[in-house]
Amino acid sequence: MEGRPLDDIALVERAKNGDVNAYEALVQQYQQLAFRVAYQVTGDAADAEDAAQEAFVNAYYALGRFRAGAPFRPWLCRIVANEARNRRTSARRRTVLAERALVAHPSGDSAQSPEAVAEADEFRSTLVATLKTLREDDRLILAYRLFFDLSEAEMAEALDCPRGTVKSRLSRALARLRAALPADIRVPSRAGETDG
Amino acid sequence: MADPRRITDVELERALRDLGPRYPYPPTPNLASPVRLRITARPAAQPRRLELWRDPRRLALVAAVLLVLLGAAALANPVTRDAIAHFFHVQGVIVNREASPLPSLSPVTPLDLGRRTTMADAQSRVTFTIAVPAELGEPDAVYVVSGIPGGEVALAYTPRPGIPLVKQTGLGLLVTEFRGDLNTGFITKGVGEGTTVEEVKVHGDLGWWIAGEPHMIYVQVAGKGQVESLRMAANTLIWEHAGVTYRIESGLSKADAFRIAASLP
Repeated sequence: MEGRPLDDIALVERAKNGDVNAYEALVQQYQQLAFRVAYQVTGDAADAEDAAQEAFVNAYYALGRFRAGAPFRPWLCRIVANEARNRRTSARRRTVLAERALVAHPSGDSAQSPEAVAEADEFRSTLVATLKTLREDDRLILAYRLFFDLSEAEMAEALDCPRGTVKSRLSRALARLRAALPADIRVPSRAGETDG
Repeated sequence: MADPRRITDVELERALRDLGPRYPYPPTPNLASPVRLRITARPAAQPRRLELWRDPRRLALVAAVLLVLLGAAALANPVTRDAIAHFFHVQGVIVNREASPLPSLSPVTPLDLGRRTTMADAQSRVTFTIAVPAELGEPDAVYVVSGIPGGEVALAYTPRPGIPLVKQTGLGLLVTEFRGDLNTGFITKGVGEGTTVEEVKVHGDLGWWIAGEPHMIYVQVAGKGQVESLRMAANTLIWEHAGVTYRIESGLSKADAFRIAASLP
């Protein structure tokens, strides 16, 4: 999903000078991330696609204001999230219950018993459904850190907030997610197991 | 087995990390092609929103545009280009049969026919002799595009008895002429399920009759892959003679369109 920062810097510089091929390479590299960030905000595939496409186009025209050598990924995330927010209202009307969808199974799951897989599925489905009930900024900060693995510095850039507040915001978002989960939720042994 | 105790923050963080790669996202669409198209279609100095992309059926448009780009890539190869030109017999035009439904564009998209001018001025700016259909006489408006090799001219006729209004163009009939031999891949037509494409002969020259539901037409600047315009087109008769490609677009029947084509000198 992500390219190496040095590659990004070179591609961004070439794109700034009008190299459309270089920008296309950036789009290919980050289209999955952009679409998924947008989807986290809109919850609707068509709106997410629209937002991600618009964000890439807007980012291209904003490259002149992009600081040389800065990381491209969080900057793009910020533009995508802003575009996605503009489309969120219509999306919310359309999809409320769509999220108790099947959760993809990486091949490693096949080693578990059918009961354990079903239990883990149920747990993840509940997590997905509960995430959807959170405030968008809570959902986004959790996704940035735990789904897309952004660093704190990158999150500060993506969220347009001081770096010192990222940790506390993440902690509050986690607490709100925990509070929103059903009181009787069971932690499957695999998902909840500890290092010890 | 399950542990009924309350989930901790640490467990929750771990569970979310575990969920990340399994999250039920829809498949990621291809954004590279439409983004490339958009940023090449408008100069960076004058950013402006291309309303076309606000269309809710843009997924189909993306598919259609992708076909155009694939067609353009094929044309970059001289062997493929010649094969396409030979197969279709009309230079400068590609017809794509689209797999997905065509998007609904605005019924009247600006035609972008070029600069309005006089017949004499248009003739001085193209490298072929402009043919006017005797059946219709002098056009109501003449447009010329000088930016393409050999130039392009468009003759516009307003609706009149026997020439019904075409909502896609806002005109009655449109004749377009350009040097197909110099502008390979200049026009691409995206044809959906409800449109028929029939190979025909006009004055003994091979061409196509494209009719039924409106089809999409893309006009590109040769060699640059730049989309000049994209709109819905009506029934079209298209053929090539002596290096010039002629296109008659109207709401007329095949027989009436052929009668007008036959009146071209």
